Amino acid sequence: MKLYEGMFLLDNQAVRENWDKAKASVTDALAKHGAKVLTARHWEERKLAYPIKGRNRGTYLLCFFECPGESLNQMRRDFELDERVLRYLFVRAEALPQGELEKSQAEGSAEFALPTPPVDERISAERAVFGEFADRPVVDRARAAAPVADGGDAAEGEEESVEAPAVGEGV
Amino acid sequence: MADITRRNAGPSALGSRNCDDPRINYKEVAYLAKFLTPQANIYSRKRTGFCSQCQRELKQAIKRARHMGLMPFVA
Repeated sequence: MKLYEGMFLLDNQAVRENWDKAKASVTDALAKHGAKVLTARHWEERKLAYPIKGRNRGTYLLCFFECPGESLNQMRRDFELDERVLRYLFVRAEALPQGELEKSQAEGSAEFALPTPPVDERISAERAVFGEFADRPVVDRARAAAPVADGGDAAEGEEESVEAPAVGEGV
Repeated sequence: MADITRRNAGPSALGSRNCDDPRINYKEVAYLAKFLTPQANIYSRKRTGFCSQCQRELKQAIKRARHMGLMPFVA
């Protein structure tokens, strides 16, 4: 068992929904592979130096945990698949830094309140994926089809009555 | 001639440091940013005045910070 420092960049959307849940998703994944999580705390919420997966802001979670070295690769695979974790970094730590335990415990207390992450203004995630297509009006096919079917019966009746004489004239 | 040598060596303020400086760490973004050019290249050892070990740690720290989105690859 060696001591590691883990830094995770979490999606602000997940943090906005529930910080404790987002944090638990990381610590549970660590614990799943036999890690003993010593501390886990909110490190910082900040603007990213460059967009990552369409996000311009993110929340950093700092963990210290003990685990056997072999399980790190299995953890990596888990975090690659987890969409809430944008980036992660594992670094060997010599010792738990001073004050780290206190900061982590302070987060568990009742008066701890995490400020809601600010809105990501520059570009949306959709925009990053779809580029210019994200700016086009969204057509929801299921919804667009429903009104046509409803009004269609009435409209069809009218159309038929109009068309029938037209056909007759032609003949 | 002396002037040219000084210019090549860069500001000595960056060079005076001890090798146990805990600030060479990927989390110390404000400190690491001092060792980047305006285009976000890492300054050479000639410029930073670091010993080879420190320069290697600096490089490692900046690259870790870049991976985590704390520092830019290009600016």
